[in-house]
Amino acid sequence: MLAIENLNVSYSHLQVLWDVSLQVSRGEVVTLIGSNGAGKSTLVSTIFGLNSSPTGRILLRDENILGLPTYEIVRRRLSLVPEKRELFPRMTVRENLELGAYVRSHGDALDHVFELFPILKDRQAQNAGTLSGGEQQMLAIGRCLMADPEIIVLDEPSLGLSPKLVHMVLGTVQRLNEEGLTILLVEQNVRRALEISHRGYVLESGRITKTGPAEELLHDDQIKEAYLGM
Amino acid sequence: MDGTIGILSQVAFWGLYSGCIYILLATGLNLIFGVMKIVNFAHGEFLMLGTYITFFLFVISGFNPYILLIGSIPILIIVGVIVERLCFRPILGTGKLNEIFISLGLIYIFQNLVALIWTDEWRSMRSPYADILINLGPIQLPLDYLIIITVTAMILVSLYIFLQKTTLGRAIRAASQNRKGAMLMGVNVEKVDMLTFGIGAGLAGAAGTLWAVSGQVFNPYMGSIPAIKGFAIIILGGLGSIPGAIIGGLAIGMVENFTAFTLGGSWKDAVSFILLIVVLVIRPTGLFGEAEE
Repeated sequence: MLAIENLNVSYSHLQVLWDVSLQVSRGEVVTLIGSNGAGKSTLVSTIFGLNSSPTGRILLRDENILGLPTYEIVRRRLSLVPEKRELFPRMTVRENLELGAYVRSHGDALDHVFELFPILKDRQAQNAGTLSGGEQQMLAIGRCLMADPEIIVLDEPSLGLSPKLVHMVLGTVQRLNEEGLTILLVEQNVRRALEISHRGYVLESGRITKTGPAEELLHDDQIKEAYLGM
Repeated sequence: MDGTIGILSQVAFWGLYSGCIYILLATGLNLIFGVMKIVNFAHGEFLMLGTYITFFLFVISGFNPYILLIGSIPILIIVGVIVERLCFRPILGTGKLNEIFISLGLIYIFQNLVALIWTDEWRSMRSPYADILINLGPIQLPLDYLIIITVTAMILVSLYIFLQKTTLGRAIRAASQNRKGAMLMGVNVEKVDMLTFGIGAGLAGAAGTLWAVSGQVFNPYMGSIPAIKGFAIIILGGLGSIPGAIIGGLAIGMVENFTAFTLGGSWKDAVSFILLIVVLVIRPTGLFGEAEE
């Protein structure tokens, strides 16, 4: 469904991604793991047309979307939950959610979001900037779902959350996948992310160094040592 | 006592009227800054164009000059869209110095173009209601000022409804709060920039029409002073804040008129800027500004 082929990205003269290839099939949860500075966020922003002059191909349902403006990519039912959430702080929760449906009419999506995150229904008249970190993350995920995407990319959804909230957020990710959503999960909480994933990739210094089924990666000695502290 | 209250009410009313023109100018300026984060020093020239377009349409049609708002606003929206597309979009994000020099260039282009077409003589128009005064208790109000206040309120309410209730208006607000977030929602931010710049120029055009209709004189070089005051208002009210532009515009209008009444006309600009400095010392982000702006 989403295939990245030989992607190279540079900032000025500094190359950040080197021949990165990655595939996410329909119905899968694929986790991308890597340490800080490995190039994960660059990869995500390149998928969404936020980096200039990358080379390679990014195929969404066999169409090359590399070079398309961000709004065209979102219209193709690929959505992002960004690392910094990128909410509209002086707009209400409801307005944030409605903007999530900017590219299509939201219909049942709002009910679905409120069912997933009942707290957002209670707080719908409140400005997004006044929510707690966990509630903001729920809003970011809910807003992304409002676009009725077929595939979503979650960039570090557990960042800055308490263990209880991490469990809740990643549990929601698992539930969304069970409901049919295809997911690319970029996550530093490696164990929990791989537990809910079908496959995984390891990105180190801008290169994919390892890939395989999530179960296999969870028991990989190198990954255990580098990312699981074992 | 009644006489004093009457005079103070009258001065307050003049402040309200002159604040209206500043509010329209500053609201447009703030809308553009809020979304694009650019500073357009040529914004006063949109007001000047508005006065001349109103004057021209009035001369050729003889229509009631207030009706001519439906001509000046759309024409200025188109001018704004063209200026954004040709001048500001290519340099967006390349640095403030480029914006300043593009603005300065636009000032000279618009001033000379208008001087070429209509000469640089001072001109004025006369409203059909110029001699009508309305008695309201102890004060006498020119009908034109009442109409200008009403028209400004209607424009601001329409803008509020547009920004709050329409999809496009929400996209503008979203882009002003988080440009990247808006892009990720599928908002075409370049289209939003173009539209916002057009609306900002249209509001300045409306201010120009009201300036001309109120009987104030104008020439091709008259845009600079209102533009400086427009900037002072948005700094006073808070960069990017539309309520700030409204409150700031009213404050400047009131201060100017009360200063002119008490200290004399030559003091009104000085006192306005003292007010600006005092507010910035107490609250550096302006009355309604956000720290990140």
